[in-house]
Parts: sequence; structure tokens; C-alpha cells
Amino acid sequence: MPHLAVSDVRAKYGSLEVLKGISFSIEKGEIVALVGPSGSGKSTVLRALMGLTPITGGDVDLAGERLNYSSSREVRAARDRMAIVFQQYNLFQNMTVMQNLTLAPLKIKRWDRAEVEAEARRLLGLVGLSDKIDAYSDQLSGGQQQRVALARALALKPQILLLDEVTSALDPELVGEVLDAIRKLAAEGMTMVIVSHEMGFVREVADKVVFMDAGQIIEAGTPAELFDTPKTDRAQNFFSNILRH
Amino acid sequence: MNYRFQFGVVWENFPQLLEGAWLTFQLGVFAFAGGAIVGLLGAAIKTYGPWPLRLLVDTYVVFITNTPALIQIYFLYFGLPEVGLRWSNEACLLIGLTLNAGAYLTLILRAGFISVRVTEIEAGQTLGMSLIQQIRYIVMPHIAKSIYPALANFFIVVLVMGTSVGALIGVDELTGQAINLSSVNYRWLEYFTVVAGMYVVLTFIASIGLALLGRWVFRVKARIF
Ligand SMILES: Nc1ncnc2c1ncn2[C@@H]1O[C@H](COP(=O)(O)OP(=O)(O)OP(=O)(O)O)[C@@H](O)[C@H]1O
Ligand SMILES: [Mg+2]
Repeated sequence: MPHLAVSDVRAKYGSLEVLKGISFSIEKGEIVALVGPSGSGKSTVLRALMGLTPITGGDVDLAGERLNYSSSREVRAARDRMAIVFQQYNLFQNMTVMQNLTLAPLKIKRWDRAEVEAEARRLLGLVGLSDKIDAYSDQLSGGQQQRVALARALALKPQILLLDEVTSALDPELVGEVLDAIRKLAAEGMTMVIVSHEMGFVREVADKVVFMDAGQIIEAGTPAELFDTPKTDRAQNFFSNILRH
Repeated sequence: MNYRFQFGVVWENFPQLLEGAWLTFQLGVFAFAGGAIVGLLGAAIKTYGPWPLRLLVDTYVVFITNTPALIQIYFLYFGLPEVGLRWSNEACLLIGLTLNAGAYLTLILRAGFISVRVTEIEAGQTLGMSLIQQIRYIVMPHIAKSIYPALANFFIVVLVMGTSVGALIGVDELTGQAINLSSVNYRWLEYFTVVAGMYVVLTFIASIGLALLGRWVFRVKARIF
């Protein structure tokens, strides 16, 4: 049984159907990369999983349990088990790095403070920011903010981590440090769905690549299958264009 | 100028002025605090509420901000007894000032609600925050920080201009006390010179208090001047 199973998921913005029946699955500890042209619906898949964009059809099962997004309580139950990091940095600006990490575990989960803080320190060490524990977000570079956002997402011990182009807004020289942090998470066995334009990185870390276009999955397979021997014309076009750069 | 200032009589009655200042301060703090609660509710409703509630808040705001505070307080002062409510002058003043401040604070705080970054709200949502938690942990600190100067200025308006309306319905706050005392021995200029100074001191204390509060509750590093 897959860890996360998405079957025939649909979503709309107004009358525009942007997800037209999306199905894919991911095993525990696996990394799936969503790739595709701009506007194809990659972000919407992640937003729908987090209950930020309403699902209009289909099913989501996580660890054998159906996630039901029909009430705000159910949506929060889904958010309990998954975490997301966005492209734009969105740290809480009025809080220190430590407070960003511990707010939700302490105030929302009401977990034990000593344990929460110890875990926060461990996560900051993992993303290489132990020395920034008391910094505010405006004292951090974009790459550092994204690494804090990664650590914050992990502080709630999610069963799956969703990453939406977390390096796209960064200066090129800062991309590497964030990718390194993700590599470490992968080595820890974190299950992840990654949206990324960094094809080299996708090829390196992803177990499976899902190619989307216009709200549908066109082709899915291992990185080698999609990058080297794509079966569909659309995938062929996309990868030959993007890999040329 | 031939006028000879004689402050002696003012100093004799200074304890009464101090009592007035203390009442002014209390009225200002309570009216502002009450107004802030009303304003926070109003701004939250304007941002998240259903349209009938939004309409209600809009009506309240338009009604209050387009009529003088004095008229509103007279309305309570003369109107409430007619419907069988016998409240003290102080209570009428406090309710009136609170409702008045609440309307202005609805507008001020609404600006704060609108200016919160959507991405920060979404971060809060995906971390599992309820609407109330989003307001408590994201919106309010943001408001405290981003519109602190507007809030502090408005507090001074309530403290100095709002409360002095009390003199006209017989509340012995600072201005009322000054009028009472100076009408006994006609040292108007002396009294009002001293009272003006006392208002400045009050304002100063209030500014510091507000800055410390912001720092303590919301971790806002605000400048006082
Ligand atoms: N808030 C919104 N309101 C209306 N339409 C939207 C909204 N967000 C996205 N869309 C539309 O939904 C479609 C899918 O958008 P989505 O952001 O999921 O694409 P994407 O694959 O993530 O693109 P990109 O690579 O540019 O991030 C697009 O046609 C987009 O215009
Ligand atoms: Mg996107």
C-alpha cells in the first residue's frame, strides 16, 4: 500500500478546472518530483493536498487513511500530517528563528517545551543554521530563510513534506545550500513531493518524476525514463527545451 | 502684556488637579482598551465576516465617524434615562468614548488586517492554526508593529481630546477640574497653563506605557518619539 495515494483529484479556480483528474502515488521514504510547464497545475496539486485550494473530486489517502477535506476540522487533520514550504519566504517576521520553529508545536499542539526546543535545535543543525537561532527573518538571506522554513515545516513531524519551487526565488549562489538541506532530509528518509525546475537536482534525488501539462498527468516514470526516453511528444518537447538550458 | 501670573492658588489646589489627571488617565486607558476590543472585532468582521455583519459594522463606523463625539455622548447622557437606564456621568462618558474610539479603531485596524502578507497567513494555516490563532499570532503582532504609530497617535487623541468632552457633562476629569477650580477664583490662565503642562506629562507617560506594552506583549521594538 502506498504512503500517499492521490486518485483522480480535481480542483477549480472559479469555473476554470485546473486539475483534471490527477492520480499518482508515493511510497514511504520516496521522493516524487512534479515537473511541467508554467501554469500546468503543479502548485495547485500541493495546495489541494494542504487544503488551501478546495478539491472538487477524487480521493487522497495518507498512510491508509482517507483524507476528507469537507470541514475545517478535517482540513486541519490533513494539515496535521503534511507540511509545505512555498517558493516565497513566509517566515513570521515578528518572531525569531526559534520562535518560528516552536510556535505551532507549543501553542497549537501544546507539546512539551523542552522536547520541542531540543527538536528545533536539532532541525536547525540539520539545515546548518544553529548560529541563527535568535535572528529575525529580516536578518537572514533568502537561502537562510528558506532553510528555516524547511526546519519549521519539519518541527511538526509531518508524515510527508511538500516543497513548491523552494529555490526559485533565490539568487543562484544560494540555491545550493537549500538543495543540500533537502538532500539531508532525503537521507533521513523523509517522504517528499517536490516541485522543481532544477532538473539536475530532480534527476539526482527523485525516485519518480511526474510530468504534468494543462492540469493532467501526461507521463510518469523514473527520472531516467522521463529525461532520456520520454514516450509522449509533450514530455519530449518539454525536457528537450528545459534540459538544453 | 500687563497680566501678572499668580500661581499660588493653583498649587494650593494641585491635589485636586492631580485627581482630575488620574481620572483623565483612567478614562483614556479604558476607553482606548474598550475601543481596541470593539475595533478588533469590527476589523475582523470587515475582513472575514458575512455581508450582513459587515453592513452592520460599516453603518456603525459611518454613523460614529461622521458625528461629533460630544453629540454622541450627549445622546447617551440625555437619551439613556429616557429608556430607564440611570448611569453615572462617568459611565456615560466612558461608554460614549469607547464606542467612538471603536469606530475609528475599526478603520485603523482594518488597514492592518489588509496589509498582512497572504503568504504568512497561509504559512499559519498550513501549520494548523485556526482563524483565531492566525489573528492572535500573525495578524495582531503585524498590526502592532506596522501601524503602531497610528495607534499611539490615536490613543493620545482619545486621552487628550476625547476625555476633555467630559467637562461638558460634569465629569471632573482634568479639564473639568480646571474649569471648576478656576471659576472660583478666576485664575483661568494660571490654571490652564498648569493643566496644559499636565496633559503633556500625561501624554508622555502614556506613550512610554504603550511602547513598553508593545515590546512586552508583541515583541515590537517601537520608538517612543
Ligand atoms: N489564485 C488563483 N486564481 C485563479 N487562477 C489561478 C490561481 N492560482 C493559479 N491559477 C491558475 O491555475 C492554473 C495552475 O496554476 P499553478 O500555480 O498550479 O501552476 P504551476 O504549474 O505551479 O505553474 P508555475 O510553474 O508557474 O508555478 C494556471 O492556469 C493558473 O493561472
Ligand atoms: Mg507553481
